Formats: sequence, C-alpha cells, structure tokens
Amino acid sequence: MLTACTRQDARLQQHKEKFESLGATTRTIAEGWLSGALSETYTHTAFAQTLQLVEQERTALSAAPETLLDPRGATLSQQAEKLSRLLAQLIGDVRAADASGVRRHVAEIPIAPDRR
Amino acid sequence: MSAIVDLILGVVTSIGGFVEVGSISTSAQAGSEFGYQLLWAVGLAGLMLAMLVEMSGRLAGVSKRSLAGAVRERFGIHFQVLPLAAELIVDVLLLAAEAGGAAIAIRLLTGIGFQWWILPLGVVIWIVLWTCGFGLIEYGIGLLGLITLSFVVSAWQLGPRSADLARSLIPTLPTHHALRYAFLAVSITGATVSPYLLNFYSSGTVEEKLTEKELWVNTVTAYLGTAFGTVVSMGVLVSSAIVLGPRHIQVDSYDQAALMFVPVFGRWAVALFAVSLGIGCFGAAVELALNSGYVLAQVFGWPWGANRPRRSATQFSAAFTVVLLIALAIAVLGFDPLRMTMICVGLTVVIMPALVLPFLVLMNDEKYVKGHTNGPLRNGFLALLTIVGALMALVVVPLEILGG
Repeated sequence: MLTACTRQDARLQQHKEKFESLGATTRTIAEGWLSGALSETYTHTAFAQTLQLVEQERTALSAAPETLLDPRGATLSQQAEKLSRLLAQLIGDVRAADASGVRRHVAEIPIAPDRR
Repeated sequence: MSAIVDLILGVVTSIGGFVEVGSISTSAQAGSEFGYQLLWAVGLAGLMLAMLVEMSGRLAGVSKRSLAGAVRERFGIHFQVLPLAAELIVDVLLLAAEAGGAAIAIRLLTGIGFQWWILPLGVVIWIVLWTCGFGLIEYGIGLLGLITLSFVVSAWQLGPRSADLARSLIPTLPTHHALRYAFLAVSITGATVSPYLLNFYSSGTVEEKLTEKELWVNTVTAYLGTAFGTVVSMGVLVSSAIVLGPRHIQVDSYDQAALMFVPVFGRWAVALFAVSLGIGCFGAAVELALNSGYVLAQVFGWPWGANRPRRSATQFSAAFTVVLLIALAIAVLGFDPLRMTMICVGLTVVIMPALVLPFLVLMNDEKYVKGHTNGPLRNGFLALLTIVGALMALVVVPLEILGG
C-alpha cells in the first residue's frame, strides 16, 4: 500500500514538473514575442509544439485512472486542460498580432513552478 | 608546412563538426534539469572520445586500414556480424534523427512542418556525397560548423562563475531525480562517443594518406580538436543551465532549447540556434551516411573512398545511398527526432563494449601498429572503458525506461 502511494506520488510529481515546464515555456515564449525578440513564425510554431506536448502529457496522465481519482491528479488534469486552451488562444493572439490578448492570457497560465 | 595546414584544418573542423543532435539534446537537457552538475560527464566523455579517436587515427595511419577493415581482417567476418549489424542499426537511426534535427532547424526558421524538409534535405545530402571528395566534405562542413561556437559565446556572455564551473568538473551525487541524473550522464557519454566517429575518422585518415611520420598531427588534432569541441558542448549545457534552469523549463523539444539563446542574442537568437542546429545535424548526417558506405564496403571487401570517382566504387555508392534512403523513410514517418536521439544514444552505449574490445587487441598487435602499440595508460583506459561500457550497457535500458 505504502509502495503504491509512493509510486503514485512520484508519478504525480513527474507530471506536475512536466506541466510546470510547459507552462514556463509558454510564458517565456510569450514574453520573448512581446519584447520583439521572437518572430511571429517561431512563436506560432513553438506554441503549437508546446500545445502538442501538453496534450501528450495529458494523455499520459489520464492513462492511469487511479491518478485522476487522486485530488492532486484531478487538479493537475484541469490545469493542463486550461493550459491547452490558453495555448490555442495565444496562437490566435499572435496570428492577430494582439499583444494585449497575449498579456491577458499569459497572466492566466494556471501552472507555475514551485520556488525551489 | 603541409602538416601544419592539415593540423590547423583538422582542429578547426573537429570544433565545427563536434556538436550535433545528440550533444545538443543531452547537454541542453542536462543543463536545464541539473544546472552545471553534469559538466563532468561532458568533460569525461570528451576525454574518452579524444583517446579513442587518437587510437583509431594511429591504427589507420600505420596500418593503412580503417577500423572496420582491420577488425574484419584480424577477427574475421563471423566475429563482426553482430557488432556490424548493431552499428549499422544505430547509424541508420542516428542518421534519421540528424536529418530530423536539420529539418526541425528549417522549421524553426520557416514555420513549415519538419517532415516536408526531410526529402529535400535527403537530396542535398546525397548530392554532397555523390559529388564531393573527402576533404571538401570534412573541411567544408567543419568550417560551416564553426557557427556552433555561438553556444560558447552565449555561455561566455551569460557570465557563469568560473569557480562553479570548476567545481562541476568533479562528479557529485544529485540532490534530486537520481535515476534521471544517471540516465543523462550515460546519455552524454553515448552521444559523444559515437561508434561511427571512430570508423569515420580512421577511414578519413586512410583517405588523406596520413604517414607514420605525421602521426603527431593525428595526436594533436585528436586531443586539441576534441577538447575545443567539448567546450562547445559545455557551452550548450551552461547556456541551458543559466537560461532554462531557473525558469524550470525542461527541454522536450528543440523549440524550447532555442530559448537558451534569447538573453544573449535577442532577435537573432532563434535564427542562430536554428543555423547551428541545422549545420551540426546536416554535417553529422553526411558523415553518418558516408560512414555506412565505408563500413559496408570495408567489411565486404568492396572498393571504397570518397575521393574515388563514384562510378568506380559502385557498391560503396549504392551502400550509402540505400542507408540514406532507409533513414529518410524513418525520418519522414514523423518520429520525434529528439526522442529518437535519446534512444540512439542509449543504443550506442549498449554496443560500445563490442566495439571497444577489438580495439584493445588491435592497438597491441604489432602487425597493425608496428612500434606504435598502446602503453599501459592507454591499455588501462581501453580495458576500463570496456568494463565501464559493459556496466553502462547493462543499466542503460532500465535507466532509459525509468529515467528517460
């Protein structure tokens, strides 16, 4: 029982770190685009690539049903879904050259890394 | 004078040709997840490579045989079947990953999906292989590859503390994710000590007609070129550690890796990263395809050589063409090049002992290296590498599953 819990904790921690990384990536790309350092072409494809990685990670998270039964897993799944939606909106914002839209959506990114 | 020019060109091309998909992936991941802590692994792998490259050059310079040719002659075809098949499989997969890496570099610049670039890139690689001699391939690509020095410039500009860097050259235990740490340490070794490099280097030594008197050129090129090349790999790790690490960005795609250049190069960051990645991968893809032709021709006793007219070495030309086609077919299926790279570096570690062990015998056989046999230090190194390689081969697959 204890081993199963530990394994579950480790798995959740791994997913959490992956989503944190993808959230941080989204924020860094958006900031780069807002500062003018990153082109629209790169920003667009990098957001699309990040969205794909979020979806892959969500699939991996939901592959083990017991992970979703855990409240932490369920929260993570919801946050990941929100991150996916935000990425889709950010892609639209960049295509429309809507800087305020990008700022608004970046501020809504639900998964921030723990200050280690 | 000619030897000096060869030496300078050799060192410069070693720097330019050092960084490719494997070293960028593993160093970027190591830096983003463990800071400078795995710098020792890059340094150690570089030292291993330098020693192996020097030996393969010495073997070829004295015996006028490439590594694959010498192994075939000394141990027979039956001994070589399994290591040869394993090396070819790894070469094909790595070639697919390198072609994918070069295609992703173009995608970073154009925004057009990477699979669309695989076939055009394949055509360019084949034209280079078909039309260029060894010198042009080696030196041309190596000189273009000097763009990868941008990783060193980036690391320098980011201003890491030299005391921290120096401390990281001594192995330490990780504070978190021990399995991942071990996996990355082994992967860095696999990415750096690629088997293809050894046969490619020895074949090149035969093509360039290095004489026994010029063995010092081989020694200096191997150690100095690899040392500078290792510094470029360290530049990737340090840039990633300073820029991506504090933001908690783990490198799962080249799009993320490109961000390491933004603080230093600003609006040129992505273009510079893409060109560095693209040229590094393109050069490695050409070398891998050429080496596959070398290995097959040398083992089966066909005429070979990039300096020969291709029509006088038809089986050699057919061999690199077929290998290139298989690799392109794999790449075009759309496997994630970064994941494929990580699998390849793991497989490289698995086959390493089978490739190093015959080396130990050859480097002590006066029929091949005359009076230039290995001393106790180099023999000890090869023996140690065989043992450590065997241990790494045992653990790399579990590590890849648990920590990869």
